[in-house]
Amino acid sequence: MSVISVKGLRKHYGENEVLKGIDLDIEPGVIIGYIGPNGAGKSTTIKILTGIISDFEGEATVLGMDIRRLPVEVKRRIGYIPENAALYEVLTPMEYLGFVGRLHGLANEVIEKKSLDLLALFGLADKADQRMNAYSKGMRQKVLLISGLLHNPDIIFLDEPLSGLDANAVILVKEILAQLKKAGKTIFYSSHIMDVVEKLSDRIVLIHQGSVIADGSFETLKEQAHSGSLENIFTRLTGSGEQEGTAGAFIDILNG
Amino acid sequence: MEIIIMTLLRWSRPLFRGSGIDHDQVMAIVLVKLKMDKRRVYMNWRAGQQKKESNQLLRALFFYALMGLFMGSLIFAVDNYLTVMVFLHGYFLFMMSMTLITDFSAVLLDTTDNQVILPRPVSSRTLFVARLLHIMLYLLQFAVAISAGSWIFTFIRHGLVAGLVLMVTSLLTVLLAVFLTWFLYLSILRFASEQRLKDIITYFQIGMTVLFTLGFQVFPRMINMVDLQGSVSFGGWTYALPPVWMALANEAFASHIFDVLHLTMIGLALVVPLVGFWVLNRFLAPVFARKLSALQGSSGPDMPGADVDRPRQASASISSRLSPIFCTAGTERGSFETGWRITGRDKGFRMQFYPGLAYILVFFFIFVLRGKGDVMENWRGLPGTRNFLWLIYLPMMTISSGFTLASFNEHFNAAWIYHSSPLERPGELISGLAKTIIVKFFLPVWLILSAVNLWIWGIGVWDDVLFGFAANLFCYFCFVSISEHYLPFSRQPNVRQQSGRFAKTILQLLLVSALVGLHYLLVDHGVWLLTAVPVLALGTHLLIRRIRGLHWAAIKI
Repeated sequence: MSVISVKGLRKHYGENEVLKGIDLDIEPGVIIGYIGPNGAGKSTTIKILTGIISDFEGEATVLGMDIRRLPVEVKRRIGYIPENAALYEVLTPMEYLGFVGRLHGLANEVIEKKSLDLLALFGLADKADQRMNAYSKGMRQKVLLISGLLHNPDIIFLDEPLSGLDANAVILVKEILAQLKKAGKTIFYSSHIMDVVEKLSDRIVLIHQGSVIADGSFETLKEQAHSGSLENIFTRLTGSGEQEGTAGAFIDILNG
Repeated sequence: MEIIIMTLLRWSRPLFRGSGIDHDQVMAIVLVKLKMDKRRVYMNWRAGQQKKESNQLLRALFFYALMGLFMGSLIFAVDNYLTVMVFLHGYFLFMMSMTLITDFSAVLLDTTDNQVILPRPVSSRTLFVARLLHIMLYLLQFAVAISAGSWIFTFIRHGLVAGLVLMVTSLLTVLLAVFLTWFLYLSILRFASEQRLKDIITYFQIGMTVLFTLGFQVFPRMINMVDLQGSVSFGGWTYALPPVWMALANEAFASHIFDVLHLTMIGLALVVPLVGFWVLNRFLAPVFARKLSALQGSSGPDMPGADVDRPRQASASISSRLSPIFCTAGTERGSFETGWRITGRDKGFRMQFYPGLAYILVFFFIFVLRGKGDVMENWRGLPGTRNFLWLIYLPMMTISSGFTLASFNEHFNAAWIYHSSPLERPGELISGLAKTIIVKFFLPVWLILSAVNLWIWGIGVWDDVLFGFAANLFCYFCFVSISEHYLPFSRQPNVRQQSGRFAKTILQLLLVSALVGLHYLLVDHGVWLLTAVPVLALGTHLLIRRIRGLHWAAIKI
């Protein structure tokens, strides 16, 4: 049984059609790498699947529930970590996590214990009671990660989760994702960083201009595109192979 | 405060039973929002003077209450009950709308909510109730702060009934203010982008700051100056004004007049705010939310609504046309033009500098028109005085602060560009910025004030005006030259307290007073004034040369 099922998903902002009919079926316990160039519709897809955007065309079922009819039920069991570290900056991480935990109906003591322990694991124990407007982007991203996982969700949606993190934190997050998968969670992972996607994902979905143009394991994609790395596959399939020419023109202008 | 709200919220639990609204979530959201309200920076007083950790909300409320006491004292100062009531309700309506526009806009336009709460399992009804509760609690705090003074004085002077009626009508006025503000937002959003709306709000905020400044400085003096004992006369159209409804409603209960007019007014006072609030909740709020989320959804990099400046091919900007006139080297010109643009666009700079300009007006009132007797008499007596000296030297102190302000910027990190550039004499950056401030702010203000001077005191003061101009420039560049040298827009805001700053301010004051004193002595000796002009001009020129030639060693980081 698939844990996420999408049929004919379309979405447009005014004239601008962002998604042009996406079909997806995702089994539980896998890591999906969802990649595509800027503006391909990655974030929009995730926002629809997490119930944030509700006006779209087509069908979307998450955990067997229609996302349009039961958004709150779905939200109870998924976690979402957005890319542009938006959180209430004037709060401290403990206050923020306490707030998020209460929205999920967790008991105060549980939230406090979990939050402190998780912050400590990320090396933020000494800053747990400092307001976040003084935080760096990486520190905020860590708080967002915790806030998305606090309620132990079944599916985790991540939108560029590694942006701003330092190398050690990247390794830690990758390891956490791998272990979450082992515990049977489904991970829907959207990113630009190709080598991370390549190593982490069981299945890669490549979208371009609102449509899926490749879907399969890394090996399948490699065969399809006859090239060695995900980066090469990406540039081939998204038809932006002119980088070499562009770079040449760039140098010419500098010399001019 | 918090405890009262907590208990109230806890008591409200039974109300939510069976309504599909999650009481725990409502409480969590309301409490977190009230907590954030306390930490937001309020526009009630000059921004930048505020300490970081203190309770900003309490501070704001305190200032509102203080203003409210001033206004409330009118109840004793003015005998005509109706006049006072019209005036007070007008004041409530105005202050509440301004508060909503300036401070609450941060809440209304904040879309962090959507990103933080929407992904969570919160039903839309729960969220709606939580938001409504929060808005009501927030408004109640301000309503009480603004009007408490008047309530107390009314209870004392006019008794229990009048006081209670005033409480009701002032709360109704608050509802009306909410309705009007929301309506204003919607109409702006209808025609302008979100960016434009935020710009407009910035100007309201500047206006608000000016108003508070003026209020505290001028108002206590005005009470003595203006004759407030007269009564308001009512014509046909005045009955359309909400403060008039409220005032007549108050009068009805205070003097037991219940004729057709008063009953109609009571009706209007009750019905319009309540219906307005209902319409707001029912129709306007959803439209507003949709508009706002639509703006969010479409605010991609290539969407309209982003800040787009005039196309490059179009005629050159003012700053790039002025820079060759006032500047020599390429670096200085660059700094002049960039300084011109940033001072016009940076919100932090505008918020702190423009209210300072209003001080010129305040000082004008205080110094030029001070004296016993009434304003008109002082005004007619002006040509016989030497008060034009104030007008000549007033703008400099304010505008030279603009130079200091311009060394601060939210994006102070961007100043790395100066350090990585192959600059030999960073002094050119400083002189360029100093000239921008002069040309952009000092020249226009000074021209206007000179025109006023010549108009009031006659063409005969032209030599004083000329000397004043030279003296002002000399002073300004002295100030730039003796202050610590920072690169433009390179310092982090809120770390302002430096040692030695006081001493330099004193030095600057001494210099200005010396020049003003000299001017005062020479007022009747126009020839001497005119001979001094070239000397001052030469001095200014040398000062600019010195600033331009500053080496890296002289720059503070």
